[in-house]
This record gives sequence, C-alpha cells and structure tokens, in this order.
Amino acid sequence: MRQISRRKPDEEWEINITPMLDIVFIMLIFFIVTTSFVREPGIDPLRPLAQTAATKERANILIAVSSADQIWMNNRSVALHGIRQLVEAARAENPQSSVVIVADQTASTGLVLDLMDNVRAAGVTSIALAAEGVDSL
Amino acid sequence: MIERKRRKRSAQTADINVTPLLDIVFIMLIFFIVTTSFRKELGVDLDRPSNAPVQEQKRSEVIAVRIDAAGQIFVEDRLVQAGAIRANIVSGLASKPDATVVVIADRATDSGLMVRVIDQARVAGAGKVSVAASTP
Repeated sequence: MRQISRRKPDEEWEINITPMLDIVFIMLIFFIVTTSFVREPGIDPLRPLAQTAATKERANILIAVSSADQIWMNNRSVALHGIRQLVEAARAENPQSSVVIVADQTASTGLVLDLMDNVRAAGVTSIALAAEGVDSL
Repeated sequence: MIERKRRKRSAQTADINVTPLLDIVFIMLIFFIVTTSFRKELGVDLDRPSNAPVQEQKRSEVIAVRIDAAGQIFVEDRLVQAGAIRANIVSGLASKPDATVVVIADRATDSGLMVRVIDQARVAGAGKVSVAASTP
C-alpha cells in the first residue's frame, strides 16, 4: 500500500500551499491589527504598588520619571518644558492615544504634578500614573 | 490578434507564481511578530484639576488628605498611620457619600506615597480622587 502511494506522485509532485497561505494571511492581519507601536521611554523605573491598578488601553505615550527626578521620553532625557512639544507631536501621529506617567516610587510629587500640567497643556485629558498590580507579583 | 492568441495560450496552464508574494508576506509577518509588544501598562487614573478656572467645592463635599514633607498623612487634619488611611476615608465617606477625595501632597514627598494614598482612597470606595500640590 505504501509503495503504491509513493510511486504515484512522482509524475506530478506539488505541495498545495493554499491552506498555509490562508493561515499566514490571518496571522499577518492579526499582528497588523494588534500592533500599537509603543515608544519606550528609555528607563524602567520602580513602579509603586496599587491594588486598584487597571490596564490602560491606548496607552501609547509613556513618560518616565527616574528616582533622580529626570524625565525620559522616547529613549532620551527631556527637560520639563520640552515635554509639551513632544506630547503634541505624538498626539499628532495618533490622536486617540493617552498618556501614562511612569514615575519612580521615590520621584518627587511636585515634579510629577508639574509634568501632568505640561501634558494637559498639550491637550491630553486622560493621564494615568503607572503602578504595579499587587496580585501580579 | 496577438492579444487573443496570448490569452488562449495562457488559459491552458493558468498558474500564478506566488513565491514572491509568499516572501513578502512572510517578511511582513516576521516584522509584526517581532515588533508587537503585548505588555499592557497598568495605571491608576487620577483627576488633576486645572489651575485656571477654579471650581469652588464646598468643604462638606471634600475629604482632604494631606501629605506633609516628612511623609506624614493627615486625613481631615488628623494624623493617621499609613495602614489606617483606608479606614479613615471609609468613615469619612460614610458621613459624606458623594465627597471627592482631594490628596494634597507636599512637593518634596515621594510620588509612591501619593499613589499609595490614591489607591487606598479608591479601595475605600471614593468615586473621584483628585490631586494637588501644597504651596510651601
């Protein structure tokens, strides 16, 4: 039985790639739709813990504040007054994105609040402070 | 004439070469797989009232939580321990159910402490939590 089936496809041997193409296209469309292109701020501060931390949708603009009170965005250190321009540029690319401020636990409150005022001056109304979920540890 | 002849000939073995298409599709697929990040940022929403048009809120509708420069927490001008913030806000909300919790933090305190107080207020059931910096 096996020998017969091996002999037959010698004449016209071809793999049917249509199902593979279907799957590849579906995966491609899935990844195109789900990609959001978040620009990493450049540092990964120690986030404070919070029980009520919720997942932020469309959080495409990340601004980080280090423990030494430096502001980071798009992989570089930025001055406080330069934030507004950067956020406006990011909003022009994707108007629906919201801002998440990733502040270190030991960053000073005054700087974080000033940063919020600058972000709000750029026209963003939904600002969140990043936190670590308690149950995710 | 030529067109028709060519069409007739290709009708015999109509076979599109899909190899370049497959190459491009695979490259795009790999690109999107590599660039996709599924890490969602967790965050605490908060309300930052603007400085310009001050919306006067009645004192009876506000539960003020003050954080001073030393990191001490005062709920309605009463010094409380960090673990007791929630209980104090719950009892405050019991007498003023629609009250807004206003966290007034000193500029020099750690933002982690502020997030903790906001979180505790949320856990206590406060609908609106807003933050402000105390003027030194």
